[in-house]
Amino acid sequence: MATIVKSYEPTFWDRLYIPALVKGLMVTIRHIFKKKVTIQYPDEKHIPPEGYRGLHRLNKFDDGRIKCVACEMCAAACPSHCIHIVPDASPWEEGKERYPVRFDIDLLRCIYCGFCEMACPEEAIELTEIYDFADYTRESFLIDKDGLLEVYEMTKDENFYLREKENAA
Amino acid sequence: MPLLKIDDREIEVAAGTTVLDAALANDIEIPHYCYHPVLEIVGSCRMCMVEIEGMPKLQVSCNTRIGNALPDRKVDGMYDMVVSTKSDIVKRARENTLEFLLLNHPLDCPVCDQAGECFLQDYSFRYGRAHSRFEDEKRVRPAEDLGAGVVINQNRCIMCTRCVRFTREISGTGELFVQQRGNSTKISILEDKPLDNLLAGNVTDICPVGALLSKDYIHRNRIWNLDRQPSVCQECSVGCNVDIYHKNGKVFRTSARENLDVNGYFICDTGRYSYHDYEAVERVTSPMIRKDKKWQKISWDGAFKEIFEKLGRKKEGDSNNVAGIFSPFHTSEANFMFARLMQNVFKERAVIGTLPLPKEEEKKFPGGFRISGDCSPNWRGLTEVSSYIYEDIFNELKKQKIKLMYALDDGVNRELTQEWKDLLRNLDFLVVQTYAMTPLAERAHLLLPGAAPLEREGTLMNDSGRIQWLRPVIPLKGSSRPDWKIVMEVMNTVGKRELDYSHVNEVLAEMNERIPAYEGVTFFKLGESGMSINEEARES
Amino acid sequence: MDGLSITVMIVKVLIVFAGVMIGVMAMTLAERRISAFMQDRLGPNRVGPKGILQPIADGIKFLMKEDIIPTAAVKPIYILAPAMLIIPALMTFAVIPFGQTVTLFGKQIALQVADVNIGILYIFALTSVGVYGLVLAGWSSNSKYPLLGGLRSSAQLISYELAMGLAAVSVIMMAGSLELNDIVAAQQGELFSWNICRQPLAFLIFLIAVYAETNRLPFDMTEAEQELVGGYHTEYSSMKFSMFFMAEYANMITAAALTVTLFFGGWDIPLVNEVSLGFFGGILSVMAFAVKTAFFLFLFIWVRWTFPRFRYDQLMRLGWKVLLPLALLNIIITGAIMVFTA
Repeated sequence: MATIVKSYEPTFWDRLYIPALVKGLMVTIRHIFKKKVTIQYPDEKHIPPEGYRGLHRLNKFDDGRIKCVACEMCAAACPSHCIHIVPDASPWEEGKERYPVRFDIDLLRCIYCGFCEMACPEEAIELTEIYDFADYTRESFLIDKDGLLEVYEMTKDENFYLREKENAA
Repeated sequence: MPLLKIDDREIEVAAGTTVLDAALANDIEIPHYCYHPVLEIVGSCRMCMVEIEGMPKLQVSCNTRIGNALPDRKVDGMYDMVVSTKSDIVKRARENTLEFLLLNHPLDCPVCDQAGECFLQDYSFRYGRAHSRFEDEKRVRPAEDLGAGVVINQNRCIMCTRCVRFTREISGTGELFVQQRGNSTKISILEDKPLDNLLAGNVTDICPVGALLSKDYIHRNRIWNLDRQPSVCQECSVGCNVDIYHKNGKVFRTSARENLDVNGYFICDTGRYSYHDYEAVERVTSPMIRKDKKWQKISWDGAFKEIFEKLGRKKEGDSNNVAGIFSPFHTSEANFMFARLMQNVFKERAVIGTLPLPKEEEKKFPGGFRISGDCSPNWRGLTEVSSYIYEDIFNELKKQKIKLMYALDDGVNRELTQEWKDLLRNLDFLVVQTYAMTPLAERAHLLLPGAAPLEREGTLMNDSGRIQWLRPVIPLKGSSRPDWKIVMEVMNTVGKRELDYSHVNEVLAEMNERIPAYEGVTFFKLGESGMSINEEARES
Repeated sequence: MDGLSITVMIVKVLIVFAGVMIGVMAMTLAERRISAFMQDRLGPNRVGPKGILQPIADGIKFLMKEDIIPTAAVKPIYILAPAMLIIPALMTFAVIPFGQTVTLFGKQIALQVADVNIGILYIFALTSVGVYGLVLAGWSSNSKYPLLGGLRSSAQLISYELAMGLAAVSVIMMAGSLELNDIVAAQQGELFSWNICRQPLAFLIFLIAVYAETNRLPFDMTEAEQELVGGYHTEYSSMKFSMFFMAEYANMITAAALTVTLFFGGWDIPLVNEVSLGFFGGILSVMAFAVKTAFFLFLFIWVRWTFPRFRYDQLMRLGWKVLLPLALLNIIITGAIMVFTA
């Protein structure tokens, strides 16, 4: 079914364009006085909201055991194949019989989709709010088990950046 | 023959066939745990229940046999039996069975090595109910070591008793039995009689769940990470079919591959764990020449030139003959090329034979499984491709005072006797084509790096005359080359030939022409299960 | 001419030159900061307090950059082109009176580098020379985008020069002189004596034409990044590129000053008799001139970050079919009124 679209016929006033131009100018000048959205990064840091997907961490139990059982579900779910796990029998008496000897993530390959987090049956791997971990070499972006556990220590209590801000104040 | 109807399909089967066999033969899936084609039927898992018209209750399909019904008892006037595998009552029965099987199951798939190839997982997913209604504490039992590298996780066991029947019927040793009753039932061994037989590893293969695990593979990797390569075991002349699971050039485990003409459903532990033999060896990855008692790397061209100078030229003197040592551990293609080198290039100068073959006692098991006494995988193939051969060349070498030798090395599991060592020491020039520093290689003057057993490609003929295609599992290391190719290059250099086979298939095509036993044998005809030369003879 | 006059002349030249160059520096920063503000951003604020040293940082950066001359370029012209653009831009300012005549050391000093009696013609002449810089830069680069940019600029400048000149004609008619000082003088006195009040249509035409003349958005057809990469200066780099940059801003400053002179009474402050205030009045007049010019410079930036670019055919239609007839009409009306009121 055809629809008739009536195009807008500009009046003489419209065709003068001057009122429209002035209206446009008013819009931009209003913005000069508006609050700026810029966050001046190294001085002030954006505090990511709950559920932000940044740097990974490996969770631990209170007694220091790693929650991860090296089931490799995260590696299987990972669309960019950036997780590499070497499993072995766990050294702890209690808990699950298996644990990761090595747990490496290639942060440059990772796309931070959070599938690993969703796939994990033990709630062991999580994405934290940390987003600024730039560095100069590719090697430094290969994070291993110790690094991931360190991230856990950094982020377990509270939002990392919120704490950083409080400490600075 | 009885006419059977399963769901919508009409099937004609021989009288006495079980419903489950009939269904499986026709690609109709009926879930089952305790049923195994070569084990006694017990019908204990209750997973294969089907509805049969005229029967008051559901029947276990694995133990229900089909017979000819009387004409007036035929269903719809034509069927001897009408089976339904998809009706609601069957589905409910499966759900309930699975719920019972999972009552005490720990559901620890993340740590379980069976995950990914576990029938409990698969059937729960396909036929089970999503939630358990069991509210009490689960029964928890410790893991136990059963011996022979097998551990049992009692929690995961579903009491299908496949393993018990295996030790009774196939290995004939009967170590495993079912202990206790009811809730306390468990698979057990007598304290002073642990699992101890050469087939023990098979219980980990036939266990449908993650209860029986091989210590060799436990916590090593996840099955979906590994690539499966159908291959042939090279530990004896039976030539069992195996699956080799590997990743990034590293082998993680070996399991039996079904081939009723060779090994049935099982393999022995020697073959199962044999891949470890190739892990620790000191590999030879580039051609090496001995200079001042030290090994020095040289290029392939340099190596061939050396061979040409030492073996190619006719020198004055009586000890001008060249000894050619075949190896029944290599593929037929490598030996075929070697035979051509000896017979066509060195001609009357050639003295050919093998090193003394290691012999063991042949073992037979009650289930029909056989471990050959001949530890080489391709003796039969070697005799086929080379018409005359000294099985033990020692005396001949001594008699002729041979000073030059070119040998295909047998491999790492091979020791040399003292008199052989003495003989080798007196040689002027010894070329050894090998993949590792074996006792033979250590005495060589020139080493040519060939393929390791898991890297080889070609055909093997087992002692019953079955030709099977050996597929390479891992890639060649360093600058090593396939053995047939090295021999081809030597022929080109020493014999001034212009052979240019780019793939082992082309060598096989050449063998089709020259070797009667290999007539008509191609890669595609061999497939995954191989073909027998006897069958070939019958057909033609 | 005595020594004092020459000294005074040199000092005036230096002051004007320095003033324009400082203005250019300030403009580069102002453009970035104001555009940022209009987009709710902050803009450059890291170099020096509030970022005021940013132009110096930019200048150092430009100096350090590799100077690339394309192999296929016509080298002498390629090197000459930026200079041909910036020199007329700076020279134009010479005839603009930026303050009332002051008496210093007993000598009358006109705050104007050169009091030329055909000042306005001189300006039009020089702006026309300036287009050579663009065209030659585009041609000598020997590359398709710069050439297109140069072509566009020549066509555009010819089109708008006409409207701009005709708009100025009505102002000249009012003042009865081509001398800019006279034009300023003619606007002094009453509240509504500025030409903006007496010639609003001419002002509008002139303003639009000025934007086109300086190649500023919405008429920056010569650069048009989305179509021509960088327009006439695509192949330029380092200090040569920055000279184009400076020329653009210098042109803007001159254009703003000219607009002020022609339509906003130059250095005049309404209802204040600056002459009677003596030297202080002179300073006041310079400040008034500066403030007015600054406003028009701000308008340049404001307009740039508000309106989108014209299409080329729209640009031509506006120039030839709208502005030119309107300017002619304006002259006729002005003439008619002058005849009837005389």
